Amino acid sequence: MKEKPKRTFKTPEGYFENFNERLLDRMAKEESIIPKEDGFTVPEGYFEKLPEKINARLSDDDNKVVRLNPSNSHPNKKFYYIAAAIAAIVVLALTLKPERGQEIDFSDLASNDIIEYLENNDLGLSTYEIAEALTIDNMAITDGTKMPLEEENILQYLDENIDMEDVEELNLDYDDFE
Amino acid sequence: MIAEETLLAQLKDEDRRSKAFEVLVNTYKERLYWHIRRIVLNHDDTDDVLQNTFIKIYRNIDGFKGESKLYSWMYRIATNESLTFLKQKSKKSGITNEALQESLVENLQSDVYFEGDEIQLKLQKALATLPEKQKLVFNMKYFQEMKYEEISEILETSVGGLKASYHLAVKKIEAYLRED
Repeated sequence: MKEKPKRTFKTPEGYFENFNERLLDRMAKEESIIPKEDGFTVPEGYFEKLPEKINARLSDDDNKVVRLNPSNSHPNKKFYYIAAAIAAIVVLALTLKPERGQEIDFSDLASNDIIEYLENNDLGLSTYEIAEALTIDNMAITDGTKMPLEEENILQYLDENIDMEDVEELNLDYDDFE
Repeated sequence: MIAEETLLAQLKDEDRRSKAFEVLVNTYKERLYWHIRRIVLNHDDTDDVLQNTFIKIYRNIDGFKGESKLYSWMYRIATNESLTFLKQKSKKSGITNEALQESLVENLQSDVYFEGDEIQLKLQKALATLPEKQKLVFNMKYFQEMKYEEISEILETSVGGLKASYHLAVKKIEAYLRED
């Protein structure tokens, strides 16, 4: 029986499965008026020096004790900001003399001053970080809305704020789109 | 090239982490650079975001559960870091994200690390008009030549949705480039 010839060449995994897609992409690119290159360049030797720069930053971070500054990547930094904001308000409230006959009530401070402070001051927190710090267990979907979520309100919101293109993006299958 | 599983195992091993991280940086630095650069446009900003991305990867590698591929996870971090960077930049400047996009493209004309001609500058202007997702998909597919399956894992969007986004982006860019 004749021996099957051994294959000495290999192809990357999935090469033939993706061949058609890549060929069609390339043909579309050739015909398109969109430039093939985007014109961005990098300083000479940038990539060679990068690992060294990253290592320097890592060892720099390791040698530092927790710093209370905005560039700190410590995971608890958001709590420091909030704690610092609340502490500042409490200290201010305690050091300011209250008007005669008027006592500072902590619940007033919590409900007015703290909210106002948080609203008016940039704490350097992204919405992602705030979301990370809050638990959703005790929140209802209507907590952030001023009016109840009636069907009429929802439809009005969708009508005024949703771009039809976004809806198409969400629902369309490519084959249907063609 | 070292297999992703082997690299991940070495990254999670404290004794071999440092060496493995060096391999990881050298393997992905260029790909992640170009991904970030096409979002933030300016080289210095890209350098900052790229370093932050790698530091975040290093600091969080123990928390990576392997539910997605390592490279998808890294691209996701790079994408989030870039978009957060732009949001903070627009907030600090007190302008909208759209206005920021326009100013970033305007700045390209005097950028020493942009050697694009008139049509390449117009392409950036066209990209600045696209919704965030379409812009991302276009750059990943057209310039980085990534597969839809890879983009799908990074952006956590269906392949069908990505194809529609890419198709729309190409049509809009071509129409913009044909305008006088």
